[in-house]
Amino acid sequence: MANVTTQSPEQYNYDIVRLFTIMTVVWGVLGMLVGVYIASELAWPFLNFDNPAITFGRLRPVHTTLVIFGFGGSALFATSYYVVQRTCQTRLWGEGLAKFTFLGWNGAVGLAAVSYMMGYTQAREYAEMVWPIDLLIAVTWVAYLVIYVMTLRKRSQPHIYVANWFFIAFILATAILHIFNNMAVPVSLFSLESYSLHAGVQDAMTQWWYGHNAVGFFLTAAFLGMMYYFVPKQAGRPVYSYRLSIIHFWALIFLYMWVGAHHLHWTALPDWTSTLAATFSILLLLPSWGGMINGIMTLSGAWDRLRNDPVIRFLIVSLSFYGMSTFEGPLMSLKSVNALSHYTDWTIGHVHSGALGWVAMISMGSLYHLVPRLWETKMYSDRLINIHFWLATIGIVLYISAMWVAGIGQGLMLRAFDEYGNLAYTFIETVSFLHAPYVVRTIGGVFFVTGMILMAYNVYMTIRKGKAEAAVLEAKLAAKLANA
Amino acid sequence: MSSEKKQHTVQTTGHAWDGDLQEFNNPLPNWWLWGFYATVVFAVIYWVLYPAFPIGNTYTKGAFNEITYTTADGKTKTSHWTTRALLMQEMQEARELQKPYLEKINKTGYEQIAGNKEQSSFAYSTAKVLFADNCAACHQAGGAGVIGMYPNLADDAWLWGGSYAQIEESIRKGRNGNMPGFKASLSAEQIDNVAEYVLGLSGIEVNKDKAAQGKAVFEGAGTCHVCHTKAGSGQFAMGSANLTDKVWTFANVPAAKTLAEKKTAVKEVVANGFGRHMPAWNGRLSDVEIKMLAFYVHQLSAGK
Repeated sequence: MANVTTQSPEQYNYDIVRLFTIMTVVWGVLGMLVGVYIASELAWPFLNFDNPAITFGRLRPVHTTLVIFGFGGSALFATSYYVVQRTCQTRLWGEGLAKFTFLGWNGAVGLAAVSYMMGYTQAREYAEMVWPIDLLIAVTWVAYLVIYVMTLRKRSQPHIYVANWFFIAFILATAILHIFNNMAVPVSLFSLESYSLHAGVQDAMTQWWYGHNAVGFFLTAAFLGMMYYFVPKQAGRPVYSYRLSIIHFWALIFLYMWVGAHHLHWTALPDWTSTLAATFSILLLLPSWGGMINGIMTLSGAWDRLRNDPVIRFLIVSLSFYGMSTFEGPLMSLKSVNALSHYTDWTIGHVHSGALGWVAMISMGSLYHLVPRLWETKMYSDRLINIHFWLATIGIVLYISAMWVAGIGQGLMLRAFDEYGNLAYTFIETVSFLHAPYVVRTIGGVFFVTGMILMAYNVYMTIRKGKAEAAVLEAKLAAKLANA
Repeated sequence: MSSEKKQHTVQTTGHAWDGDLQEFNNPLPNWWLWGFYATVVFAVIYWVLYPAFPIGNTYTKGAFNEITYTTADGKTKTSHWTTRALLMQEMQEARELQKPYLEKINKTGYEQIAGNKEQSSFAYSTAKVLFADNCAACHQAGGAGVIGMYPNLADDAWLWGGSYAQIEESIRKGRNGNMPGFKASLSAEQIDNVAEYVLGLSGIEVNKDKAAQGKAVFEGAGTCHVCHTKAGSGQFAMGSANLTDKVWTFANVPAAKTLAEKKTAVKEVVANGFGRHMPAWNGRLSDVEIKMLAFYVHQLSAGK
């Protein structure tokens, strides 16, 4: 243990980390509840109740925005602000600006959810926010970039730790993606509607360049940054390979930017674009796995920790799901496989093996490491963490297997021909086939959100405990001072 | 594990962050490195075989991977691998597979198609898809229709006739079904009595006296018999419904529980009338497609 430092926690800006940590849990519970509701709507359509605001079409972007940007985004703000301070050994730059990013980001997520329910959308997947919200996000994000760069610049460590490379790549790429994909001309100054600056196939291409890199930089690179700090910290062991981290970082950053067009196979997109997207997706497989290897092998020699540390369980299982979904992704990006999988629930299953298995599990593990340190106490209950782990794992397995059955089944039905060359199934026959897997998917979602609610309770009780202990400590100190 | 032993002898990079955060300097795992090289080889082969890189206004076309196909008007074309050429090729294969069947059906009468196992199962298979694409949106997937809107094609009752020729004419030319409203020409009491009579025609227990007064309106002031005939059995030539069977296409009598509710449903129709329109499919579907559809719709009601 070199360079052990004993600075007081006041050295760091923990207030902003605490705020984002709390919002991670709040958005997580809300977003996942909405997810379970829309999954139920697909299984039992009467739940739409003929009320436009709560139909699947409007609630679906509410779900994706709350979980990706609300839950995932807040988790990233919290952990990146924490990691950059700890690994640079310096206080976060810009007190007021950091508060602004908190208000700007959470304000944008809240406004977006409300506006979707009112029917306002740009109809761009994962970028549904109307233009004024886009502007708010752009300003917030540039502030985030400035805070991060300035904090790195005033670091008291000679080297920049690997987690920060991933965070800075994520912040920079997300800024570029967000701004270029949302370039639009408002219909009028006081209208929430706008026209995209791009048209036709270029518009689709730009949207999926954004869409896939939202997965690549927001949901992968950034969470790898999280992984690079919290896995070695929780395991108390050095990262497996510095060399691997350099190689896979640059390979990942370079290759991801090319693959968005694999969302548009077999469309009006030129064939050469499709080919490049497919091959770069295949090339991306091993660089993606580099992060998994570095995380899992960090535990090599300390495997017994999996038996008794529920936080390590969250972290390692998340890496396993990460490995699985980054294998599945390149497979689905091949044109021949995509012809079967596209426009079916296989895609939804794939996204959730990444989103629940990787993004949510690594965030939960990191938060269970972070919360006791932020409120200077121990977690209220380790047993609840363990129960949460099993609920989440069972939920994910139910969800993914249901979507494999639904997706592959529907894909095969849609392209089945009889002996005369006629379609063997009508569309409605494939829809009634989906009912059973949709019910199983909903059950999986209920498991997952139940775990999340337990987490919210556990975090709330921990914070209460931390505050009570701090009060006792203060009282003791005051008593001592009075006696002296 | 040998790698584990190795790891303990491997040095860290010598940096430490946040107290105890360090990095080993292990070499890249061999399987990882060779796996990456393998994906590079895969990508290069893919680039050679398929359209891949843009060059100015054009792009590399891919080698050893040509597609030859015949278009619908008989021209043969050869192209480098494209998704469109692939589609053209598949369409050609489907056309060639179906051509002999279609030619036979085109030349054969309905009765003969029904009697020939091969032709009838081909017509059924093709028309099932045509029905799903063109008819099911209104008449529903199984042809059961929606009371008050789209007639049921799966029961034995026909508005415009259930013979092959009549069904074909319905599909080809479309249909306009109109019934005028009588609230201006009949009093409320007259309408009430007519409804009583009409319900009695289909075997529902009603007030005999009122029904008798209704019959007088039906054949007199109401002029109902002009379209529905004196017996109430309707006429295919005008699409007027048979009122003596238990099938209801507009007034939702089956869903009503009490006599009063049933009467309300019938009175609504008598008072306000309705207009229904089925579009013509001539020109949108080919002759042979209309023929197969008529065959399909005919057998939806077990050929009655």
